[in-house]
Order: sequence, then C-alpha cells, then structure tokens
Amino acid sequence: MTPERFYEVLVKYAESQGIQLNKDKEHVMGILEGLLKNESRYSYRSCPCRLATGIKEKDADIICPCIYKDPDIKEYGSCYCGLYVSKEWNEEKIRHIRVPERSQYNSYKGAA
Amino acid sequence: MEEQDKKVRLYGLSTCPTCKKVKQFLDKHNIRYEHIEVDLLDSGEQWVTSKELKRYNPEVTYPTMVIEEVIKGFDEEAMKMALGIK
Repeated sequence: MTPERFYEVLVKYAESQGIQLNKDKEHVMGILEGLLKNESRYSYRSCPCRLATGIKEKDADIICPCIYKDPDIKEYGSCYCGLYVSKEWNEEKIRHIRVPERSQYNSYKGAA
Repeated sequence: MEEQDKKVRLYGLSTCPTCKKVKQFLDKHNIRYEHIEVDLLDSGEQWVTSKELKRYNPEVTYPTMVIEEVIKGFDEEAMKMALGIK
C-alpha cells in the first residue's frame, strides 16, 4: 500500500470514529511511512514513535491504532504520536502539548 | 567551526516524524550532535541504549535530547548559569 492510499483509508476510518487525522499532513505522512516501514520489518503496523520489540504479542498495545488512542484523545485531544486528533484539537481549541506515554512497553526492552 | 561547549545527544527512531523535526531543528542551527536511531541498533545495543536513556528520561520516549554542558575549571558564572543559580 502506498502512503497516499493509506492516507485516504485512514481519513475514512477517522471519520467513522468521530475523530480526525492531524491537519498537519506532512506529519501524518511521516507517521504513515513509519507505519508501513514497521509493517515491512515486523509484519504489523506498530507505532512509529515507539520502540517495538518485534514480538507481536508484546507489542499488541502499540499496534496502530494503539489501545491508548481513545483515552489520549479524550484527555489531550491527540493520540501519542499525533496521528489521530479530535476536531477541537485540529481547530486549536485545545492546547497542543506533548502527550505523555501511557504504555509500559519499554519494560520489555529491559529498560525498567 | 567555533567550539561547541554543550554536548548534544539525540535519541530517536528512524520511523518517527517528531524525531525528524528535532533533527532538522538542530541541523538548521548548525548544532553538532550525536544521533542515535535506536530502532536501527541490534537488540543488545537497543537494550543498553534504553537503559542509558532511562537515566535521563524514565518514560524512555522518543525523541529525547540530552544536552550536557562542559565547564572547565572553577567558573562560577558558568556554573551558576548552567545550574540555574541566581
């Protein structure tokens, strides 16, 4: 799949979820390229802004859309990597801040 | 090139657009830095680097930039500035 086609699909997915893609298309395309790169090296689309283990079961929570997307959008208006956002976030009615990491995935890497 | 007093290290991922933005910022300002793309390291190096990064940033998130200031000798003014002492 090309990043452009992927983008078209995700626009529709986001709409179906009542959310939007980040209006910064350059950022979004960077994420999509990262997702496709992760798919080619791990065989699943793990979050490109997080270090994956390469073991699907361990990375299940960070496979896009990650399980933290909904609480992050609810609390901060954006998911961790800034792919999915709320309408209010895109309209800059919500302050854009760095979304804290909810995942404890790094413990798998022995970093804990 | 003028000597750069601060040592800069950027921990990032090759797939992360925010890491790329930080890198572009540093390049634009002609800052010399060590760039570690952790996802491109082998698994042993990833483990060691994650441990190292955790010392600076317990969340172990990317990008993380570490700026280390080098102060030579007893330079009170430089120490106060670096440590935020007024």
